Amino acid sequence: MEAYLLAIAITALVYVLLTLGLNFQYGFTGLINFGYVGFFALGAYASAICTVRLGWPAWTGFAIGIVVPALLAWPIGRVALRLRDDYLAIVTLGFSEIVRLVIVSEKDLTNGNQGIAGVPKLFAGVAGPGYADGVLAAVLVLAVVLVALLMRAIVKSPYGRLIQAIRDDETALLALGKDPARFKTQVLMLGAAIAGFAGSFYAHYIGFVTPEQFVPIVTFQVWMAMIMGGVGRLRGAVVGAFMLLVILEGSRVARDIVPGVSEVAMSSARLAVIGLALILFIRFRPQGLLGIKRD
Amino acid sequence: MDLLWFDYANLALNGLAEGLMIALPALAVTLVFGVARFPNAAVGDFVSLGCFGALAAHRATGGSIAASLAGGAAAGALGSWLGWKLAFQPLMRRHGLALLLTSIGLGFVLRAFMGLSFGHEIQLFDVPLMKALRFGPLLVNPIDAMVACFSLVCMGIVFGLLRFTSAGRTMRAIACDMDLARVVGIDSRAAMGRMWVLSGVICGVAGLALGLKTQVSPEAGADLLLPAFAAAVIGGLGNPLGAVLGAICLGVMQELSTPFVGFTYKIALSYVVMLLVLLWRPQGLFNRVQGVR
Amino acid sequence: MEFILFLERKNVNQLDRRQILVAGALGALVQGGNVWAAQPAGAAFRIGALNPITGSGANFGSGMQKAILFSAEEVNAAGGAAGRKLEVFAEDDQTSPTAAVLAAKKLLEVNKVQAILGTWASGVSLAVLPMTNTADAILMHTSGAVALADPKINAKKMAYRYQGSSKHLSRAFATAAKKEGLTRPAVMAQNNPALAPHAEGFRKAWIADGGKLTDFVLYEPNRPSYRSELQQVLRSRPDGIILSAYVPDATAIVREWAQLGTPMKWIIPGFGANVDFIKGVTPEVAEGIVVVESVVNEKSGAYARFAQQFALSMKQAPESNVYAAMCYDMVQVLALAIEAAGPGADTVAIAAKIHAVTTGAGTPVDSFAAGKKLLAQKKAVNYVGASSTIDFDDENDVDPTFAAFTIRGGKWQRSYPISG
Repeated sequence: MEAYLLAIAITALVYVLLTLGLNFQYGFTGLINFGYVGFFALGAYASAICTVRLGWPAWTGFAIGIVVPALLAWPIGRVALRLRDDYLAIVTLGFSEIVRLVIVSEKDLTNGNQGIAGVPKLFAGVAGPGYADGVLAAVLVLAVVLVALLMRAIVKSPYGRLIQAIRDDETALLALGKDPARFKTQVLMLGAAIAGFAGSFYAHYIGFVTPEQFVPIVTFQVWMAMIMGGVGRLRGAVVGAFMLLVILEGSRVARDIVPGVSEVAMSSARLAVIGLALILFIRFRPQGLLGIKRD
Repeated sequence: MDLLWFDYANLALNGLAEGLMIALPALAVTLVFGVARFPNAAVGDFVSLGCFGALAAHRATGGSIAASLAGGAAAGALGSWLGWKLAFQPLMRRHGLALLLTSIGLGFVLRAFMGLSFGHEIQLFDVPLMKALRFGPLLVNPIDAMVACFSLVCMGIVFGLLRFTSAGRTMRAIACDMDLARVVGIDSRAAMGRMWVLSGVICGVAGLALGLKTQVSPEAGADLLLPAFAAAVIGGLGNPLGAVLGAICLGVMQELSTPFVGFTYKIALSYVVMLLVLLWRPQGLFNRVQGVR
Repeated sequence: MEFILFLERKNVNQLDRRQILVAGALGALVQGGNVWAAQPAGAAFRIGALNPITGSGANFGSGMQKAILFSAEEVNAAGGAAGRKLEVFAEDDQTSPTAAVLAAKKLLEVNKVQAILGTWASGVSLAVLPMTNTADAILMHTSGAVALADPKINAKKMAYRYQGSSKHLSRAFATAAKKEGLTRPAVMAQNNPALAPHAEGFRKAWIADGGKLTDFVLYEPNRPSYRSELQQVLRSRPDGIILSAYVPDATAIVREWAQLGTPMKWIIPGFGANVDFIKGVTPEVAEGIVVVESVVNEKSGAYARFAQQFALSMKQAPESNVYAAMCYDMVQVLALAIEAAGPGADTVAIAAKIHAVTTGAGTPVDSFAAGKKLLAQKKAVNYVGASSTIDFDDENDVDPTFAAFTIRGGKWQRSYPISG
């Protein structure tokens, strides 16, 4: 039983990292990124390629998995600055699909649709296979704490106050001679790096990466976690990610109570619950979603 | 493999057919955006609704295309109007992101409803397979020709509505400036409702086109969503003509690019083009510059 | 496709499984011991049925799960294996490695299953195999990825593949193409982890035999039209097209082709050219299409029982879901191995018997019940199954027999066998 709960916890922690990164991007700069899963994919594939295809040690995968998404976030940042929110949402969605299509096509690098198998479990050599997962969970908690502290430090610094100022009134900032563009891009890059970081953990945990795992709905799940937990609040990321998993796991308990439902119908019901949760949360408890944005 | 002029021409024709089909949901997206100021991610699922409505009508009337048109349009309009009343209208004063996320949620709910009601198996329209029409070395699929007709007629009617009827004028007025329109005495709520119904009808017709050309399933319409968004964005969100032209251009370009980039990357092409167009003209190809934020 | 982390459970017995599970879980927590030590005789053998009920494998998953369930009921009705009843815990892997990992964790850690049966997608099997290896559990799957036979990945040799792997299916294609007299074929395949390798394998086999291909096209699924892809292939003027596709895209492509009117010989795998395909393209268009399929053992009593039960419980034609037949065989084979290993055997010992009861010199049997009788008399058996004769090679892959069928009058008609 504990191993199973551990598995859920590890998955949740990966989502917490993702939510933190997205929170940073949207919550503090208002940039609407609907292509977040693209950065996640880059981190996961970086780790997979480095460890499996190239035989390098795991930390190289992590390093590349942090740097590459950040680099790719830079042109998106430049583009974002010139676009309306809605355009940006669609453009970033296109970006994550481009990432996925590149992964599918560049078979020599990524093995295309067949994916890369055999990504080694982290800490298996150190702790023995039985305890590797426990160590992983502990390290993930550490990673979450570190990222959260980093973000808090940034938020409280003069740099962070600048970012919040951008969110609140850009024109005033421009009048003061500060260029919000550069800061927004940097924030975007940091958020992307965090997603890549989460991706590396994910690849090592599941042990297998395919393009099919990195589709837009993962982005929407992270958005849901962020909305539920409260945008702009670091604690919100943790709460939101765990709430997301509760919603998703809750349907299993529901099936125990309502035994007559077929599995296929359950999958539709699951989708309906997610859709309804999204609609209802936004309508009745936007909690920070609109507190930040000007109407 | 060396390609001759008619190979390119055939590719272009394929692209034109695909573009005309995407033009309809792109038009629906841009209409909603013009008036309600957000990109409606539920358009794909309205199209799927239209698929099922058209299929039901087709089977009920033993194969009447006219009935299918009516059935699809009705289903799309109903879904769209219900979505407006239940999900979007209460949020009208909110920021576009809230509406966009709500539309995503609405899309999920619709897809779940269709999955539960109709099952996930692929269903096909029972139309006889017809041989392609040949014009010399050029090939035209009769279904494509039919879909193109529907699209063009639908678009013509919509443009006519917008330009020549008072209902259309009020829609354009509220699209331009809602508060000013109200000051002038326009009933913006009724006009909005009409716009949603119109958008739904367009989606419904697209559903019939999609169902005839491919297959009917709860996920069928959602596959059109991103290309429709790309087309609408390129043409300039809120600009109906832009959306249609954007869709046609994207479709043609996508197919023409195939010999050079292959069948997987041609899909990425729409997004890359979208990015490039926006870099050059952030408001879209056919829009005037508005305030960026 | 959705990768929603969601697990479902379905129970076979009438008892409230949940109470027992909770008690068991608490007990396991208290004990914390190694559950895979030798089981006391009489303890049930727990099986995890991990199938694609939702996701891209959904067409097959429900049938596969049902097959496992009624196959287990048959075994229990015959008195169980080595004095143990089979207990099935059913989960949905959503055709997603992420969801499958959680489902497998639950099956292995909470339900304490000793075998996982019926994973379909290669991604799912590849993600689950390391977990079953760690847990010393048996994995039986229907996935095609060649990597699954890799000794580094199937390290404990406790994973068994019940579907002809890509290398078998592609060689079957090559044989059929030659028999049909093709000299300049082209290939179209969906860019999918299962279908693309079939095509790649065919290309390798064909070229190794000195043949040439006129074109090789990988296309994306869910496209509004495959006209351009088809036109490119037709431009190269092939005399036949090998199409590695599932029913939706196979239907779309062949319909497009029908409208173009170019005469063409098509060779399509059985899972793409089934009854729904024939209905979708119309029997007239389908006339003459060659279908390559692993021979479902129609003469086998196992197939007869499977077909009857399948039609009853799924209300679908049994030939539409060859993977379900494989799942039926999985349970029968497992039960025979348990019986052969004797009471109190652990999973490693049971796995060691799987080759013995299916492959090699032994009296052919087509059911657990018949095999059990012979095993009691200390005679060797060779299970001949519903999906194939179930003979494993050194890499734990079945070596199925294929046959070519031609569609005539809207039905498959057997044309000639293709030796595997």
